[in-house]
Amino acid sequence: MLQYTIRRLLSMIPLLLLISLVVFSLAKMMPGDAFGGEIDPSNTNPQYIEEMREKLGYNDPIIVQYGRWISNFVQGDFGKSTVYKKPAVEVIAQRIPNTLFLAVVSLIFTYVFAFIMGMYAGRKPYTLGDNLIATYNYLALAIPSFVAGIVAIYIFSFQLGWFPFSGSVGIGLEEGTFEYYVSKVRHVLLPALVLGLMGTASYTQFLRNDIIENGRKDFVRTARAKGTSESKIYNKHILRNSIIPLITFLGFDIATLISGAVITETIFTFPGIGSLFLESVSRRDYAVMMSITMLLSFLTLFGNLVADLLYGIVDPRIRLD
Amino acid sequence: MKKSTVWSLVMMLVLAVFLAACNNDSSTKEKDNSGKEDDSATSTTEPKEGGVVTFATDQAPEGVYDPAYAGSAVDADIQGFTTESIFTINDELEYIPNYAKWDISEDRLTYTFTFEKGVKWHNGEELTVDDWVFALETLADPAYDGPRFNYVEDVKGAKAKKEGKADSIEGIEVVDPYTVKITFEKVKINNLENLWPNPMPKKHYEGIAVKDLGESKQVRENPVGLGPFKVKKVVAGEYSELERFDDYWKGKPLLDGIIVKVIDPSVATGAFQNGEIDIMGIRPQSVKELTALENVRIEETNGVSYSYIGLRFGHRDKATLTNVADFDKFKSKELRQALLYAINRPAMIDAFLEGKATVANTVIPRTFWIAAEESELNQYEFNQEKAKELLKSAGYVDKDGDGFVEDPNGQPFKISFGHYAGPAAFEGRSQAIIQSWNDIGVKTELATGSLIEFNLYNDMKDNDDAALEAFFGSWSTGSDPDPSGLWGNNSEWNYGRWVDDTNQTLLDAGLSVEAFDKDMRKATYVEWQKHFNEELPALPLWENMDLYGINNRLQGVHINAVGFQTDVHKWYVAE
Repeated sequence: MLQYTIRRLLSMIPLLLLISLVVFSLAKMMPGDAFGGEIDPSNTNPQYIEEMREKLGYNDPIIVQYGRWISNFVQGDFGKSTVYKKPAVEVIAQRIPNTLFLAVVSLIFTYVFAFIMGMYAGRKPYTLGDNLIATYNYLALAIPSFVAGIVAIYIFSFQLGWFPFSGSVGIGLEEGTFEYYVSKVRHVLLPALVLGLMGTASYTQFLRNDIIENGRKDFVRTARAKGTSESKIYNKHILRNSIIPLITFLGFDIATLISGAVITETIFTFPGIGSLFLESVSRRDYAVMMSITMLLSFLTLFGNLVADLLYGIVDPRIRLD
Repeated sequence: MKKSTVWSLVMMLVLAVFLAACNNDSSTKEKDNSGKEDDSATSTTEPKEGGVVTFATDQAPEGVYDPAYAGSAVDADIQGFTTESIFTINDELEYIPNYAKWDISEDRLTYTFTFEKGVKWHNGEELTVDDWVFALETLADPAYDGPRFNYVEDVKGAKAKKEGKADSIEGIEVVDPYTVKITFEKVKINNLENLWPNPMPKKHYEGIAVKDLGESKQVRENPVGLGPFKVKKVVAGEYSELERFDDYWKGKPLLDGIIVKVIDPSVATGAFQNGEIDIMGIRPQSVKELTALENVRIEETNGVSYSYIGLRFGHRDKATLTNVADFDKFKSKELRQALLYAINRPAMIDAFLEGKATVANTVIPRTFWIAAEESELNQYEFNQEKAKELLKSAGYVDKDGDGFVEDPNGQPFKISFGHYAGPAAFEGRSQAIIQSWNDIGVKTELATGSLIEFNLYNDMKDNDDAALEAFFGSWSTGSDPDPSGLWGNNSEWNYGRWVDDTNQTLLDAGLSVEAFDKDMRKATYVEWQKHFNEELPALPLWENMDLYGINNRLQGVHINAVGFQTDVHKWYVAE
């Protein structure tokens, strides 16, 4: 397995290089750059813009720029944000805690609700309850998250006043105090609920289908024949087998943890990686955009590896070699 | 699985690009600056102390607190609370002394500035001219990496310092801690307007090399300014908390503090309704929703931005930095006038801007003191018959009977009109313009077949793309009335590349020594506006109004064309 892991890790390198080349070229081919766009005639100095473009090398051919960028990148220099005028690493690191927090809370919601719904639907397939759950899941899958976000804000923040509508923390609270943490949790709940409850579809339906399938297998019939109680059959024998495929998702979730939710974060003005990514693309902040892209690519590949390894561990029938 | 990884990344990128395109309407230049006092809404109660108000913005600040390094509009809004310039701009957009007065020498080259005594920085230091000289020297330093060198380049010796030939700027002479003489390279009417007006806290920045200053903690995290409020706490991407500065030189501010909060524009109305935000610049599209709220008033003012249709006359030669008139499609003045007569501007304003704009017939917004009277200008009132007559007289007639005119040589005539993408109203107004021109028989098509993504559109304008024969544009002019940056013969931002002798002569006259006589300067610019109004090198459409939504609890706000931040120390809360 160690050999397998190393092999997989090594094979990531060319893949990452390829991804970076494609993303970099696409990014540079987008019209405009960090200095283009809105011009304020009384406040914009064309000489300065030209100077900066020259200094940052925007006038060089894309391939030259790519070579410069990648050689800095592998040496650990991720570049400087043209918007924030700080190292890209700093800008990103500042946002990671918020994103992680939001992602973990929303994943907990997803897991809990998907688990309950999946178990119920799997145990009582083709009943009214199952159909309702399926309907809900596909609706949630179909509704764009920005619509869900705005509706949630209007109902829960503006009408009912249960949750704050924007930001990640209350204004003026000192870091480290009890109120600070309470406020953090209060701010994360609504976006996390929107994200979590809208994302249950795949988990629920996978779990349901697996439970139904396993319910028809021989070992279940044997257990029934022995007189094992229905609840024990479902909660112990079937569930254990049905969870295995879900582990694959865990790998994907690693990337989700960081990538956050681009749109949801923006609507809730939740300062995380997602909103930063969106902003860096629209403002052509190449250093930040490329760093986030590479981070996410790596985590996605890494997550896949973790999923494969976990699969091998929980299901001894699968051999990784 | 690998395939799906790459695929998901590509999808994410595509999505991001798409969203970026949607997002760009925030940068379309229909900015929310402001103009005129609304007496009815203010002064309902006596001003009193205390309270905190929230100013909302839809873009996150970059967190650069020294104006010499900042570039974004949101950072400028925060600086409007925390910093203050040596001069300010009044409602007529004239430059008036703030904490410094100035005298101009006989030869008009030397300005002697006298600072008020007792003006305090947030850290308790007293402001002296050294702080200002420090700022000017920094801007001219070869290692300075901010965008503002052009604000000192007219001072004598600043260029030499920038090029490393001098250690300090020759034209600055400190007389005493409150008096400084600044000598300029050349006599120019707008030397003052183009002089950097923001001192830097010299003591606070002590020991930092110029090349590190822009990234230093002193600029980025604990800034020191002169304004009525000081930065207390910043949560990046979310909010900035400002607190009252008790030693503010014009007197203690009434409010305890101001929160600058970032919100998504889609929830602005709800946030206003709930009293979570107190003041925000708004778009015409939001007026209807906000008017329905009882606790919110809308204040409007004539701003300094206008929209126009640019017409192409040539291209820009990037090697010589000159504009070359070599495109003849719009050479006929009658044609250009006909194109403007064809457009029903009041109807468009009602349909797409909720009536919150004024028809413009020149490109000098009427808030400026140099603006020409409407009676002196041709009004170009909507008249398609007149447009058709003008076309006919210029030789544009339909010879082949297809319903569209041919050019005077009998060749098919067609205009390709471009517009950038944005809110739904953009689709409507571009179609309205195309329809108007088709109605008078001038065949018009939308360039590239659809609205163009904003960054791409700017690129196309910069590069004189052939598809943009006529194009929609907007400018926000700032407070300097001189239009030569936008319409000068060789100006970079004269996107239509209109080259005209009378134009340049008049623009130069407006900046000449004679223009120190204010009446003469105004007369020159009125002359220029009449020329523009007659020639129509671009078709002026309307001046945008600056609109603000303000919660009724917030009083004492004075709005003008420059912005909403005049005398913020007089803002107060009435419950």
